[in-house]
Amino acid sequence: MGLRDILTGRHQVKGPAPDRLFAITTAYVDLQAEHQIDPSGSAAIVFQALATSEFESTIKDMEEVVAATGGDNGTTVKTEDDSYGYRWMILRSRDGAPSVEDLAVGINAVSSSIETAGFGERLLCAVFGFVDAQKRRVYFIYNYKRGYWYPFVPAPGDAQERSTERELQLKAQIGSEMPLEPELERWFPLWGITI
Amino acid sequence: MAARRQSFGKDTGLQARMLLTLFLLGLLYAVFVGVLFAAGAGASLIVVVAVVLLLVQLFGSDKLAMAAMGVKEVSPEEEPELHGIIDRLCVQADLPKPKVCVIETSVPNACAMGRSQKSASVTATRGILEMLSPAELEGVMAHELSHVINRDVMVMTLASFFASLASMIAQFALFFGGGYGSDEEERDIMLVILVSVVVYVVSFVLLRTLSRYREFAADRGSAVLTGRPSALASALIKISGAIERAPSQDLRRVEGSSAFFIIPPRAKKSLMNLFADHPPLEQRLAALERLESQLQGGLSTANA
Repeated sequence: MGLRDILTGRHQVKGPAPDRLFAITTAYVDLQAEHQIDPSGSAAIVFQALATSEFESTIKDMEEVVAATGGDNGTTVKTEDDSYGYRWMILRSRDGAPSVEDLAVGINAVSSSIETAGFGERLLCAVFGFVDAQKRRVYFIYNYKRGYWYPFVPAPGDAQERSTERELQLKAQIGSEMPLEPELERWFPLWGITI
Repeated sequence: MAARRQSFGKDTGLQARMLLTLFLLGLLYAVFVGVLFAAGAGASLIVVVAVVLLLVQLFGSDKLAMAAMGVKEVSPEEEPELHGIIDRLCVQADLPKPKVCVIETSVPNACAMGRSQKSASVTATRGILEMLSPAELEGVMAHELSHVINRDVMVMTLASFFASLASMIAQFALFFGGGYGSDEEERDIMLVILVSVVVYVVSFVLLRTLSRYREFAADRGSAVLTGRPSALASALIKISGAIERAPSQDLRRVEGSSAFFIIPPRAKKSLMNLFADHPPLEQRLAALERLESQLQGGLSTANA
């Protein structure tokens, strides 16, 4: 942000950073083989849904495209709005055959069509669900603005607490495998994940 | 690369007016400093004192103000909803997360403080948390985060530096003025006092003007950040209605740093818009309405 922007109080919302979404497709192999963390078969992309007819029709078209391409590999698509007013487009692999590659391709299809339509700055994050050996949920969140990943492990129970210890373990375990967010204070939690 | 489509047009008018105001302030200050130096020795001492005061203001005033208003930092466990909103906005704005604070008062309001993005804090009152829907609260918090992004505390503190200096000289002179030295010295002193008073009055109007422009910019920043200008408009209507009805005793308690509240905590309607630090509600709503129609119409109308 330049001096002139500061003086005039002007700022633009950042568009997506160079895409490193597909880092998950190599990292998950390691997660599964070395650390017994299996993909849950679900992933989601979170964005601000603009209440304009143009945006709605973009989303509708995109949903159809993803559903059509998903038809080949059994991926299903579901759309939900959360209590914060953000839209979740949730992709699910066919039962029993979770495929992180297919999910990443699907998520990428959604994000690139949002970008192509000119709404790239509305993308918030993508979430990939995993389950560890103790059947606890582990999420990997991709921040579109920064192009970095970070783990998010909610503590068991309904309280909004996270297991920072587990997250830091994961950082040590696969930090070299994928581009992790270097600033810990930007590991923003994402509560109410339904995948 | 093809021009990227944008949901919102540029607001060149606002930027031009803001730069013009800053330019006039700068010009005024330059003349003022010139006169001070021409008048000689005594002035430099005042400048030193003023610089010290400025530093105190920059590094300590937010803590003082926060203590005076009963601001309490809250953890994510205490206020999950508010933290959730701010977390998402920080991702969206690519901003480090500021401290999140709450004031236990029923008056609905919010403010942002801190000289830099790292030391920033955003504060909401209990009243605003209870009154607004999540989308409206998000709009208000995005407005406050825009103040943080635009570094408004820093800009306004620096911009008002010479204004405080001028008012110091004027007040100093009122208490201890005149009665010593030769005729010539006395004339110099009178000149400095006169100039100080003029600088103070003119810069006061300019600063208030600048503050109003910063509010418009923050409203706009909120709309750009959330993509929901009308949610902020609805929040402003709710808050201003409630503030007009609120008892004045509570209002006085939260006076003090009104420049960074979303709606200034003052009940009385003033005709003197020139001296207001927030623009009138109608103008803010009109600006937000323009943003909403730009959003709905896409780029074609925004650039027309």
